[in-house]
Amino acid sequence: MNIIGPDALVFGVDDVEACAKYLVAFGLDPVGVDEKGGRFEALDGTGIVLRRRGDPSLPAPLETGAMLRQIVYGVADEATLGAVADELARDRQVQRRADGGIEATDDHGFALRFQRTIRRKLDLPGERVNAPGAPAQRGVNQIGVWQDMPAKPRTLSHVVCFVPDIAQAEAFYVNRLGFKVTDRLGNSGPFLRPAGTNDHHTLFFIQTPVYMKGCEHFAFHMGGPTELMLAGSRFIKAGYQSFWGPGRHKFGSNWFWYFNSPLGCHVEYDADMDQHDDEWAPRETPMSAEAAQAFLFEHREKWAPGGPPPGMGR
Amino acid sequence: MARFLCKLDDIADGEARAFGPFDGGRTKAFVVRKGEHIHAYWDACPHYGDTPMAWRTDAYLNAAGDRIVCASHGAEFEIETGRCLLGAALGKSLRPAPIEATANGELVLKG
Ligand code: FES
Repeated sequence: MNIIGPDALVFGVDDVEACAKYLVAFGLDPVGVDEKGGRFEALDGTGIVLRRRGDPSLPAPLETGAMLRQIVYGVADEATLGAVADELARDRQVQRRADGGIEATDDHGFALRFQRTIRRKLDLPGERVNAPGAPAQRGVNQIGVWQDMPAKPRTLSHVVCFVPDIAQAEAFYVNRLGFKVTDRLGNSGPFLRPAGTNDHHTLFFIQTPVYMKGCEHFAFHMGGPTELMLAGSRFIKAGYQSFWGPGRHKFGSNWFWYFNSPLGCHVEYDADMDQHDDEWAPRETPMSAEAAQAFLFEHREKWAPGGPPPGMGR
Repeated sequence: MARFLCKLDDIADGEARAFGPFDGGRTKAFVVRKGEHIHAYWDACPHYGDTPMAWRTDAYLNAAGDRIVCASHGAEFEIETGRCLLGAALGKSLRPAPIEATANGELVLKG
């Protein structure tokens, strides 16, 4: 099944205005936004949809009251939509919408929607690195960084959910929707890759008690580590709160920087994720701080060594 | 020695305000003003142990302003006691911070 990845995540929130301000400061572009909500897009058109918690157009909430109300998957073609509908209709209600999208819930009750993907093809350079021994990626006289260089989220990368039953969650996405497990963090969960992408993961699960079922975080891909660092630094300067990072994960190799948010979950910038195909054999390791990251840093305000030259101070 | 932080009246009644981190530490503290009283805690959620709770500067309270909320996973805490009332930190409490309101209306960090 040619499922590409998340086109959008739909949230029902208490404070639309605060969440809208947050997502714009994060770097997403508001599209059709008013006091009832709207879309917040990355450069390729994927993104976050905000609605009021009580908006009748939203799918029913999880019993935990989590603000994540729907995960919208983009698929490559009509054939995939048909295949998903046929497969899910074997044991659950599948609704076909007037726009061709289909809707159902997964085994934990998360509302899903599948649609022909809305993502626009991006044609942008990635971060270019010069290294001795390798051909220069940036030509002569091309500079690598400047203070206000663009650092916009390019595409919605992945969503991570809290579920009480990891095995059940994994079985549904693998057996029913054709996702592949790329790696596993023991006593946490599986990294899952749908068939239509090479990204290390677009979906990950963390095992928690039932009362926490919901979204742990979602992430957007940046153009490289420099964009990630710049965007995160700007976000902090705007008054938002770093939660974890910047650093670099081991599984997936992606750079990460997580922030607190008013959407009831964390929000992540990521960059430079590994790509895999079906030849890849999943690794497994127990979850630990050591396993979760190759290195971890913490933001500090700009600082430089200063003062008078040695011996001159008085 | 007590360190002056701000005047009590710099914080509107019912609102929260963060201070620090102090002395090269990593953890901020925050106070919630209730009339002439304040309640002060370290900005460290007992669910994960020491992670910051606000989603932006000074945003420690729920929309109704009657509970402290951790933005990470939505745990809610009683303002007066720091006790977790709902969510991921049930059975645990916020750690009180040594901040006091003096008789002449100043907030000070003790110690
Ligand atoms: S870290 Fe505060 S609720 Fe989880």
